[in-house]
Amino acid sequence: MPESMITTDGARAVPQVAMSTMSTLVTRTGSWKYLRPAYLDRVAPCNAGCPVGIDIEGYMNLLREGRVDEARDLLLAENPLPAVTGRVCHHPCENACNRRALDGAVAIHAVERALGDLAHERPAPGFTRDARAERVAVVGSGPAGLACAYHLARLGYGVTVFEAAGEAGGMLRLGIPEYRLPRAVLDGDIARVVAHGVEIRTGVRIGRDVGWTELHDAFDAICVATGAHASRALGVPGEQLAGVRPGLAFLRDVNAGQRPALGRRVIVVGGGNTAMDCARAALRLGSKVTVVYRRTRDEMPAIREEVDDAQREGAEFVFLANPVEFTDGAGRVDALVCERMALGEPDASGRRRPLPTGERFSIDADTVLTAIGESSALEDFFPEVARSDSGLEVDALGGTTRDLLFAGGDVTDLERTVADALGAGKRAAIGIDRHLRAVRGDTAELNALRFGPGNLSAARWLGRDPIRRTDPVNDVVGPDDLNFTQFARVPRHDDPHLSSVRAVGGFDEVNGGLTTEQAMDEARRCLNCGVCTECDVCLIFCPDAAITHAEGGAYAIAMDYCKGCGICAAECPRGAITMTQDRP
Amino acid sequence: MKKVMVGNHAVAWGVRLARVEVISAYPITPQTQVVEKLSEMCADGTLPARFIKVESEHSAMAAVIGASATGVRTFTASSSHGLLYMHEMLHWAGGGRLPIVMVDVNRAVGPGWNIWTDQNDSLSQRDTGWVQLYCETNQEVVDTTIMAFKLAETLSVPVMLMLDGFYLSHTAEPVDVPDQELVDRFLPKRDAPYKLDTEHPHAFGALVKPDAYMEMRWLQQEALSAVPATLDGIEKDWLRMFGRSYGAMEKYRAEDAELLLVTSGTVTSTARAVVDARRAAGEKVGLLKVKMFRPFPTALVRDALRGVPRVAVLDRNVSPGHGGIFAEELRSALYDLRDGERPELFGFVLGLGGRDITPAVIDEVIEKARAGTVPSREDLWVGVNP
Repeated sequence: MPESMITTDGARAVPQVAMSTMSTLVTRTGSWKYLRPAYLDRVAPCNAGCPVGIDIEGYMNLLREGRVDEARDLLLAENPLPAVTGRVCHHPCENACNRRALDGAVAIHAVERALGDLAHERPAPGFTRDARAERVAVVGSGPAGLACAYHLARLGYGVTVFEAAGEAGGMLRLGIPEYRLPRAVLDGDIARVVAHGVEIRTGVRIGRDVGWTELHDAFDAICVATGAHASRALGVPGEQLAGVRPGLAFLRDVNAGQRPALGRRVIVVGGGNTAMDCARAALRLGSKVTVVYRRTRDEMPAIREEVDDAQREGAEFVFLANPVEFTDGAGRVDALVCERMALGEPDASGRRRPLPTGERFSIDADTVLTAIGESSALEDFFPEVARSDSGLEVDALGGTTRDLLFAGGDVTDLERTVADALGAGKRAAIGIDRHLRAVRGDTAELNALRFGPGNLSAARWLGRDPIRRTDPVNDVVGPDDLNFTQFARVPRHDDPHLSSVRAVGGFDEVNGGLTTEQAMDEARRCLNCGVCTECDVCLIFCPDAAITHAEGGAYAIAMDYCKGCGICAAECPRGAITMTQDRP
Repeated sequence: MKKVMVGNHAVAWGVRLARVEVISAYPITPQTQVVEKLSEMCADGTLPARFIKVESEHSAMAAVIGASATGVRTFTASSSHGLLYMHEMLHWAGGGRLPIVMVDVNRAVGPGWNIWTDQNDSLSQRDTGWVQLYCETNQEVVDTTIMAFKLAETLSVPVMLMLDGFYLSHTAEPVDVPDQELVDRFLPKRDAPYKLDTEHPHAFGALVKPDAYMEMRWLQQEALSAVPATLDGIEKDWLRMFGRSYGAMEKYRAEDAELLLVTSGTVTSTARAVVDARRAAGEKVGLLKVKMFRPFPTALVRDALRGVPRVAVLDRNVSPGHGGIFAEELRSALYDLRDGERPELFGFVLGLGGRDITPAVIDEVIEKARAGTVPSREDLWVGVNP
């Protein structure tokens, strides 16, 4: 035994281990901190990237918990046509999805489609505000017009939609073929808009059947959503020859059930979605199709999947080819002469500019369909309303330069996609509501209603954000904000497609969509970026055991003991905890 | 039940028979098979323990410290850099008086990067408050693993077992696996004097001021000083129940020896064969195996070496700038002997980084120790040509 020279009460009076006589609760370690964790819900990149302004992360979270009806209602709070967009949207949400950095984006479009289809079988969600006396006219029943009408109806207004064609739907019905968007699906979504009390009057062309001024006098506000239906001309010799047609006119015929004779060899000029629709429709009519585009595949504005499908179904692509002349074979086009292009520096759109090389070549054709873009044509419209070459000029809430005249969709000078049109319709509805209720103030206040830099939320505008986001930090969560080590790799469900042989054999829907179960799988793949899902990782990792389950859900942090170490924020799988300065 | 098994699996069997409740370990060559075997045993239910996967050795030791503080029996294993990475936590286990048992499969420390055996990894941890026991055979590994828990829990001190990388860890030998029922009688469930308990909350390892810190260290010293006697009692029980014992040290054919070799680890078995050959040739050469390095069994060693004319210490380790570490401990232990009783001590550094120590190498050691007149303070490096 070692000798002790201890002179106090004796060493054996001291415990052999350093042990307190009471619990650690007496030690208020929270006094050490200068940083304080806070559960601040942030913005998922899908939400920020959605032109419609859908709370995608929110409905994924509800789906994950099996709350299907609530998920559907949250989706319908922002998007009147989910069964449509689930099929035809270019889904920038998926391009933004942080899960791409792990194992592939969540198949958001497929989940939206499944929820949208499911919504057809259920009663529409109820109205959200008491009826108002004002009545609004919406001109055009495409996605922008329907969205504006739908949101106005939900805001309590009486709405009448005027549609020049025989049926509602605008470009959705006239431009998009059935193999992408079955008519029953479109009808189902439109029926729900009508169920909200929206009156749709078809066969009425404003500017011809009813004057714009007359309309303006009869309603408290107008939203112009007439679209862009005039095919742009190439402006090259021979364009007037028989066999040269605007692609949009061809699609209109096909979508009306006609099956025009095109001949064996069809050339489609253009690289956008109209061009792809023309190519694939022509393939279904038995023609051999060549797509001619003046840039390369990388610059094509069409949805990537549409290009892939066109190629799979047998369309050939000739890139870096600019049409310069249609040649005349006995009064009818017999070939398209093109100039070989080369790519130069990026242009204003960010895509590399095609430059002529002088080299020419010719492609034989029986029919040429041109699809290089569409422009809007308004008859007898208010001359003083400002417009540019690409359409009506509008402000952040769809307002034109004329009082109580709003606009949205392809008729304006903004992006021309279905999603952008739906988003613009919603903005115009909010703009009209704000105007009619004489809400004053800077539109900057509306930024709090946005998903980050994205579109406005109708739910937030109504003050009825059904998710708990009481304290939104309006910044977007990127992959670096996530803790991927907390997520297992789960492969993405890909959409089943008809075989190319079956696909070109008719106009059946090519993309089969995911089953409800598969869609739920995809919802479970959602990382819920920036939003607390009560996964308990913070609670497990807190070294001070300062995080506990709170009454009624979520967490409480015992600030008397939280040292502000930041481990909870670092370990949070989804960036839902923010460290804030404790003292100035 | 006799089984043929490698040293690493002997460790796992010892842990299984000791009914360890929590294991946390991180794999490293040459210890990996210990972790593999234990995780298999946990997975197939033959060892109903919680196996905590971690990202580092520091965390492995931290995990078993936390588990041990709750009063359960815990185990971990490592080697070389893994053990060194645990260094801070080794102090927490020692100062926290937690009866954790760990195995260090001795492996040289890099650089130069080397996976083969020497003792520098464990010897560099000598001041962390852990008992250190160096094993010679796989049977000794199984038996000592089980006895280590009893020793650790009796005195509230952590115990580290060493076995030579590859020479023992990966070498198969017949092992008599102790009967579980007998082991259960020998080693009942741990009864911790202090433990983490949410019903009776206490903080462990908190601030201790100068007025009590030294007393705590004195109590730790007292516990470690009691290790040789306590282990002796445990070994006696083991001998009675299982018919085997090892001791803190072992004299082999040491009677009237003119030269005594001092060894630890597997080189002991080689040295036994050399001693047998020398004895057969009529030479008075014997062997002292030192199993316990911490606490250093000073009194036992002093008695064993008193009056032996010459001692040759074989060190498979080196304290750079100083010499063989066992030799230094022995010189210190023997210093108090009177002139005439104090042996001439010759130190030899050999076998570093896994270099083979063959009978011929030991013969060379014997010849050098005999030829020397006055022991040099500089230990001889065997097999290194300047």
